[in-house]
Amino acid sequence: MSKRRSGRAAVTGIGVVAPNGLSTDAYWKSVSEGLGVLDLITREGCGHLPLRVAGEVRSFDPAALVEDRFLVQTDRFSHFAMAAAALALDDAGLGGEPADPYSVGVVTAAGSGGGEFGQRELQKLWGQGSKFVGPYQSIAWFYAASTGQISIRGGLKGPCGVVASDEAGGLDSLAHAARAVRRGTDVMVVGAAEAPLAPYSMVCQLGYPELSTLDDPDRAYRPFTEKACGFVPAEGGALLVVEDEEQARERGVPVRGVVAGHAATFTGTSRWAESREGLAHAITGALDEAGAAPEEIDVVFADALGVPEADRAEALAIADALGAHGTRVPVTAPKTGFGRAYCGAPVLDTVAALLAMEHGLVPPTPNVFDVCHDIDLVTSHARPAELRTALVLSRGLMGSNAALVVRRGDDSAR
Amino acid sequence: MITTEVTFDELAALMKQAAGITVDPEELKDAAESPFDSFGLDSLGLLGIVGELENRYGASLPPDSERCRTPREFLDLVNSTLKAGA
Amino acid sequence: MTRRVAVTGIGVVAPGGIGATAFWDLLAAGRTATRGITLFDPAGLRSRIAAECDFDPFEHGLDADLCQHADRYIQFAVVAAREAVRQSGLDTGSLDPWRTAVSLGSAVGGTTRLEHDYVLVSESGRRWDVDHTKADPKLHLAFTPSTLASTVAEQFGARGPVQTVSTGCTSGLDAVGYAFHTVAEGRADVCIAGASDSPISPITMACFDAIKATSPNNDDPEHASRPFDARRDGFVMGEGAAVLVLEDYEHARARGADILCEISGYATYGNAYHMTGLTSEGLEMARAIDSTLDQARLDPTRIDYVNAHGSGTRQNDRHETAAVKRSLGAHAYETPMSSIKSMVGHSLGAIGAIEVVACVLALRHQVVPPTANYETPDPECDLDYVPRTARPRKLEHVLSVGSGFGGFQSAVLLSGAGGRTR
Repeated sequence: MSKRRSGRAAVTGIGVVAPNGLSTDAYWKSVSEGLGVLDLITREGCGHLPLRVAGEVRSFDPAALVEDRFLVQTDRFSHFAMAAAALALDDAGLGGEPADPYSVGVVTAAGSGGGEFGQRELQKLWGQGSKFVGPYQSIAWFYAASTGQISIRGGLKGPCGVVASDEAGGLDSLAHAARAVRRGTDVMVVGAAEAPLAPYSMVCQLGYPELSTLDDPDRAYRPFTEKACGFVPAEGGALLVVEDEEQARERGVPVRGVVAGHAATFTGTSRWAESREGLAHAITGALDEAGAAPEEIDVVFADALGVPEADRAEALAIADALGAHGTRVPVTAPKTGFGRAYCGAPVLDTVAALLAMEHGLVPPTPNVFDVCHDIDLVTSHARPAELRTALVLSRGLMGSNAALVVRRGDDSAR
Repeated sequence: MITTEVTFDELAALMKQAAGITVDPEELKDAAESPFDSFGLDSLGLLGIVGELENRYGASLPPDSERCRTPREFLDLVNSTLKAGA
Repeated sequence: MTRRVAVTGIGVVAPGGIGATAFWDLLAAGRTATRGITLFDPAGLRSRIAAECDFDPFEHGLDADLCQHADRYIQFAVVAAREAVRQSGLDTGSLDPWRTAVSLGSAVGGTTRLEHDYVLVSESGRRWDVDHTKADPKLHLAFTPSTLASTVAEQFGARGPVQTVSTGCTSGLDAVGYAFHTVAEGRADVCIAGASDSPISPITMACFDAIKATSPNNDDPEHASRPFDARRDGFVMGEGAAVLVLEDYEHARARGADILCEISGYATYGNAYHMTGLTSEGLEMARAIDSTLDQARLDPTRIDYVNAHGSGTRQNDRHETAAVKRSLGAHAYETPMSSIKSMVGHSLGAIGAIEVVACVLALRHQVVPPTANYETPDPECDLDYVPRTARPRKLEHVLSVGSGFGGFQSAVLLSGAGGRTR
């Protein structure tokens, strides 16, 4: 290959479809102001369920962003993903068909699939008969739907993949994309968007012992406090464009950040005390890959599960991995304002980290006061700070732990 | 038994419902010899339309129906089948 | 800087053969395991046939909790993983848990269980506002696809990267491919890799009915899966699992392991064409094959066998034939290419891993498994499909290829132990 390559994976595009914003700017405005948008669930057929509060993506008009022929054959989770991918590609100046289709790949993480579409088709099958199941059930419900449709819609023939992991899979997908770029693919569209707020999908989540079932949106999700009572789910997510940094410079587009290091570990389902060691291992591994010393971390975007044992494990893991710096570095969890969108959650955190570095501002952790762990959790108001390197943490309900180190991009992106 | 005939209007509505394709019924009629893919209708879309018609009229359409290339060919086959069934 | 990746263990749960020995006996004999569906009453469906596993979890030493609560596809995976790890000779107690990874694929995950409980909570499809009190309290384990990799990781105390891969019908190849990258690039020394699916359920059969992808040859199920044959009329659903132990070559050698073969290349591309449709040119699959050959610095003429996706749909077999001809050129006509789906059906995400295991066995036995039921040549499929009878052959480098809904086109290259030069 004659192309010059840096081997570093730069983020050049961001697309967000989140409960607190349908664009990157709207999302950042809400995050930086620490607004809370958690609310009682309004989606049809969900009102009677003992899961009352969530982060819903409201006023999302898929038809404004995705063509009808794609909408009829896909679930809401793919609508989100296709919309976010298009926003990210436009942001990166890569809208339209690529000159070399094999130079652009797609990888998404998926933890809940096309549940609403699936429920509708199950209803036809069991209520009316097998002949009433439509032709799109075979391509809408499965976890690979979003990657496939993004690839088709954009004419993207590069390496395509799907990590169907728990929440930490969102960070794994970013690492997957960064490695594909290092192996020689020019551009990767990467991220996750989920739509788990349909009646049957919600029933399927009720068994998670970590789920918050409180019906007060301001109190349902308060990690790192003595009032922590679980997490609040959300829908939506984000997709990014990641490409070789050298190439981004040649294209003359702003580099919004660099995916510098990642590591993942596994410490067992719901064994949260053990996640301390797993998360610390992941942080150390990600720092190693990034060539970063613990003191270089300027801000930590916490997993913030909201389960006391898990919160304690995370606070201790940060201290274990970062040493004394772990108690001084600002830690934040903006997702308390809009919920955890499963695999989409750590991708939205990564977006928040990139924007925090661009703006020199650590966003706060909404609804959280009286922190009961030895970390410097940023609450109430955003805190100005010079931020060069951020650490994003994620743990999954099935036992995965992941850490991602992202570096600040060009000053021109700010 | 009602004698039924699937019209261009009905086909256009089905293309919208089953495949998300917006097409004016008059245009569909005028371009009835054009291949389905020129309207943006793919194989899954046509399968969906076949399934919907089968359920609507309680009749089986021949296996060739989803291989029809044009609206004219498709409607001719569908309507001759429905007539024979009636 | 990448490391060589050895295969040191294999395990399989396949229709007609649980365990690698029984599985290979089936393939070598060219027997088919396709039959009328017994797992549920298929009345009313267009395709009422499948390749089912005669599988009793209690017979395979699974603990009571796994036997009673785990989904069938999880049970398959655990049984296959135990066989693979046993064969590898790894002492999981002395492995570095942080350097032990898991990468498992599944196309549809816990769908069968999800459908089962859906029927209860919806009163057989009568309610949209489903009644949660009728659901299994552990239903979340069927909902989240990562239960697969997590459950297997727990079995062996793996604490490294644990991932579940879901790229439709290439999930198995891609899970092996991700594992290959994980070991080759040094993120783990050992990776338990493979895939599992148990999709023989009303909703999955009905969704393939709706697109007429499955064979309606209900009267002759034993001969219904006919890849590359002119009379092929769709794939036959299957189920099962296969798992491989992938290991850093030096790690395996240092502990004196029996190295079964090496994984010497992996690539995947999207066709960006259609979620289910395939072109007749096969450009993207050819690109994946070319890429694996590049990685191994291998001339196409060195390929001794192609394990085909060979699903038995009209478009797939034509597509794949074109892709292999594009990559191997004239050598394609001299290279046997067979589809074991003729015998064990198409188990969606699992089949890619089952086919990789078939390639490992083919290399070990120096025998090419046949394409059962192949009788009538199709002018559009004009390669050597190894009709009906297994064939002894010197095998050093073999390819396994696959296509999946979503446009995924993947290839894995395997090289016999010691056969690879660098």
